[in-house]
Amino acid sequence: MEPLTFEMILVMSMIGVAVFLFIVEWVRVDVVAILIMVTLPLLHLVSPKEAFMGLGSNAVVSIIAVIIIGAGLDRTGMVNKLVAPVVRIAGDTPSRITIAISLTIAMISSFMQNIGAAALFLPAVQRISKMKKIPLGQLLMPIGFSCILGGTITLVGSSPLILLNDLLTPFKLQPFGLFDVTLIGLALTASGIACFIFLGRFILPQGESTDSGETGNEPADRILADGEKNDFYELSTPADFTHYRDPLVVEDLRRRYLLNVVAMTESPDFKVLSPMPDTEIRSGIDLVVCGEKKNVERMAAAEGMRLKAALETYKDRLSAQNSGTVEVVVAPRSPFAGKRLMDINFQDRFRLTPLSVYRHEETYRAKIDDLRIQVGDVIRLHGTWKRFKALQEERGLLFSIPSDVESMRPEKALWALFWLVLALTMTMGFDVQLSVALMTGALGMVLTRVLTIDEAYQSVDWRTIFLLAGLIPLGVATEQTGAAAWIAHTVLGIIGTVSPIVLLTVIAILSTLFSLVISNVGATVLLVPLVINMAIAAHADPRMAALVVGLATSNSFVLPTHQVNALYMGPGRYRTVDFLKAGSLVSIVFIIVTIAMIALVYGV
Amino acid sequence: MAIITISRGSSSMGKAVAEKVAERLNYAIISREVILDASHQFNIPEIKLEKAIHDAPGILERYRHSSHSYIAYFRAALTGRMAEDNIVYHGLAGHLLLKGMPNLLKVRINADMERRIQIVMARDGLSAPEAHARILADDKERRKWTKNLYGEDPWDSSLYDLTIRIDRLSVDNATDFICQAAEAEGFRSTDKSRQKAKDLALACRIKAELADEFPNTGVTCEYGNVLIYIKGKEQASGKLTKKLNAIRESTSGIHHLETHAGTAIPPDAV
Repeated sequence: MEPLTFEMILVMSMIGVAVFLFIVEWVRVDVVAILIMVTLPLLHLVSPKEAFMGLGSNAVVSIIAVIIIGAGLDRTGMVNKLVAPVVRIAGDTPSRITIAISLTIAMISSFMQNIGAAALFLPAVQRISKMKKIPLGQLLMPIGFSCILGGTITLVGSSPLILLNDLLTPFKLQPFGLFDVTLIGLALTASGIACFIFLGRFILPQGESTDSGETGNEPADRILADGEKNDFYELSTPADFTHYRDPLVVEDLRRRYLLNVVAMTESPDFKVLSPMPDTEIRSGIDLVVCGEKKNVERMAAAEGMRLKAALETYKDRLSAQNSGTVEVVVAPRSPFAGKRLMDINFQDRFRLTPLSVYRHEETYRAKIDDLRIQVGDVIRLHGTWKRFKALQEERGLLFSIPSDVESMRPEKALWALFWLVLALTMTMGFDVQLSVALMTGALGMVLTRVLTIDEAYQSVDWRTIFLLAGLIPLGVATEQTGAAAWIAHTVLGIIGTVSPIVLLTVIAILSTLFSLVISNVGATVLLVPLVINMAIAAHADPRMAALVVGLATSNSFVLPTHQVNALYMGPGRYRTVDFLKAGSLVSIVFIIVTIAMIALVYGV
Repeated sequence: MAIITISRGSSSMGKAVAEKVAERLNYAIISREVILDASHQFNIPEIKLEKAIHDAPGILERYRHSSHSYIAYFRAALTGRMAEDNIVYHGLAGHLLLKGMPNLLKVRINADMERRIQIVMARDGLSAPEAHARILADDKERRKWTKNLYGEDPWDSSLYDLTIRIDRLSVDNATDFICQAAEAEGFRSTDKSRQKAKDLALACRIKAELADEFPNTGVTCEYGNVLIYIKGKEQASGKLTKKLNAIRESTSGIHHLETHAGTAIPPDAV
C-alpha cells in the first residue's frame, strides 16, 4: 500500500468538504460541483483539461440526449396516451391498477429521467385515484418507487448508471452494455412492486378516497382538493358600509378572517371573479368568499355584512360548469419555483385565486403571499376553467385536470418513437457509442420538429449536468493521486478478509447510506474508484463492485430526498415517517435482490 | 389616547416625569409590577426575572437562551397590561419590549450628569466620585443589556418619538411636552390600534409559552390568526405540534394557528 501523501490528503479534504456542503446545503449541489471543478486544478490535483473533461464526457452528453428525448416524448403526449389503455386492462382493483401503472412507469423511466416520468404521470394518477375512488396516498408511493426502480432497468435509466462507464474507463475495465443491467433492474422493480402489493396495508398510509365534490355532480375529470372544506358563501354589504370606517380591501378579509374572496362586484357594476387583493369592498355589493363557516360568520358579525343562505348573484358564474378549485403541483424546474406568491400574482396574471399551499405535511392558509414556492408544493387555486387552461399553457405546474392537447404535438408521436427506437438500435445492433446514439436520437427529434431546439435547451436540467461534470474530475483526482487505493486498502484492513458476496453487500449498504445524505451522482463518483480498488485488493470482480454502486445509489427510499419522492410527498399527503416505514422495507429488499441477481447473472 | 413609555438613564428624573404625566392625563402608571405579573403567570421567581431584565446576559446564558425566555415572560406580562390603553410605563427598554404596539409614544429622558450625581449622592449617601462611578456602571450595564438582546443602543435618539434633556428644561416642561404629544392625531387609539395591541399581546403570550422549549421561533398574530415561524427546520416537530395544540386549548382569542417552517421569520414577529 502506498504511503499517505499530501495530494491524497488534499483530495480527501476536498471529498470531505464536498460531502459536508451537500449535507448542509449552504449552496446548491451544482454550485458545489462547480466549486470542485475550479478548485481541483488550482490545487494542481488535476490538469485544467481534466478539470473540465466532465462537461464533454460521454455521461454528460448521454444525459443531455436522454433528457431531450424524454422531453420529445412528453411533448407528443405519447406517455399520457398509454395511461387510458393500461387502466382499462388493469380493471378496478387497487392492486391491479398499482401493478399496471407501476410497471408502465418503470418501463418509461428506464429510458427517461426518473423525475420526468414521475412528473408526467402525476396528473394521470390523480385522475385515476378520483375515478376509481382509490386513496391517492395508496397509489403514489408505489408508483414513485417503481419510477425510481425503473431507472435500474437500462444503463440510461438513471444518472449513476449513465455515469458508470465513464468511471470505469481510467481502470481500463470493459464498459457495460445498455441492457446488461436489465435482468437485475426487472427483478428490482418486480420485488419493489411486490412489497407494496403484499405488504401495502402495513406500510402505506390508509387514507380516504377523494370526494367527488360538494354537489356530487362534478364532471369526472375535475378534481377538487381532498382533505379541506371548500365552501362558498355569498354576502352583501349594506348601503352605508364604507361610512365611518377605513377602506376594507380583499386582502384584509384574507388576513383577518382567512377568507378568500373569489367573486365580487367592482365599480361601477362589474361582476368579477378572482378580484385583485387591493380591490376595495364597497357599499351595496355582493361578494362570495371561500373558507370555513365559523370565519364567515365572524366576519359578517364584525364587518356588518349580511350572510345569504345560498349563492344567488354568483350562482351561475360559480357553477361547476364554469369554475372550480384545482390543486396544482409545482413541477421540477418550474419558473414559479423560488418566487413568492405575491410576485407570481395569480390574481392579476391569470385571474385565479390562490386559496392555500400544502407543503411537507403543513397547510398554509394565512399570509401565504410571502411564501416562497418550492418544487413539490401543492397550491389550491380557484377560478374559471378557461383561466386554468391559460395557466396550463405556462407549464411548470402539474394539473389534475387534462391538459389542452392543442399545446401538444400528437402528430409527431411516431417520429418521437422512431428516433427513440433508432437510438436504441444504433447502440445495441451496431455497437455505436451510447452518447452518439442518444444524441442522434435527440437531434432527430429536433430536425423532425418534435420539439424546437429552444425547447430542447429549456428541457435540459443544467443542475444535473453541472453536478455530473463537476464531480467527474473529483473521481479522477481520487484515482490519480492514489487516494482511492489508499482508502480502499484502509477499509479492507478494517473489515478484514471477506468473501466477494459479503464485500459487495458492504458496498451496497455504503452506497445506500451515502446516497441518502449526498446526491446519488455524488455518491457514485466518490465510491466507484474506491470500490474498484477494494475489489482489486480483495481479488473480487471490480466491474461488479462498480455495478453495485451504480445500482445501490438509486436505493433512495428511506427519506423523501430523491426528487421523485419529494415531488410526490405533497400530493400524496405523505409524512416523513411514511417514507421511513415503506422505504426501510424496500431498501432492504433492494439490497438483497441486487446482490442475489448479480450473483445469479454474473456468477460472482 | 396613547400608551406612553418613558425610558431614561439611571437617576434622570424619569420616574418623576412619568408620575406627573400619568397624573396630568389621568393614565395608569406601571413599572415594576409587571415583574410580579410575569412571575405569577409563568411561575418564575421574581428575582430571576429581575436579574434578566437588569443584567446583560453572560456568555453561558446566551447559549442557554434563559435570558430570552425571561424577557419573553416579561414582555407577555407587559403587553398584556397594555391592551388596556392609556398607560404610562417607565421601566427598562419599554420602547423595545413594546415594539409593534400601535399608538405608542416613546419618550427618552436624559439628565445632565452633574444633576444625576447630585441625586445619587443625596439618595445613596455616596461621594461625588462614587456616585459618578455608579451612574457610569449603571449606564454601561443598561447599554450592554439592550445591545445584547436587541442590538440597539438605548442612547440612540432615533429610537424615540421625543427626547428631552432635564437641565434647563424642568420636569414640568417635560410633562407639558409629553402630554401635548400624547394628544396628537398619530397617537390616538382606534379600533385598528386596539386590535393590533390585542394581537401583539396574544403573540407575546404564545411566544412566552414557547420560549423555553422552542427558542428559535417567531410569532405573529393578526386578528387572532397566529403564525408560528420555525427557523431553519423543514417542518414542525411532533413535540412542537403537541405544545401548540395545548396552547390553542388553553389560550383564548386564537382563531387560527399554523406553522410556517423553513421560511424567514419576518421582522415584525415576536
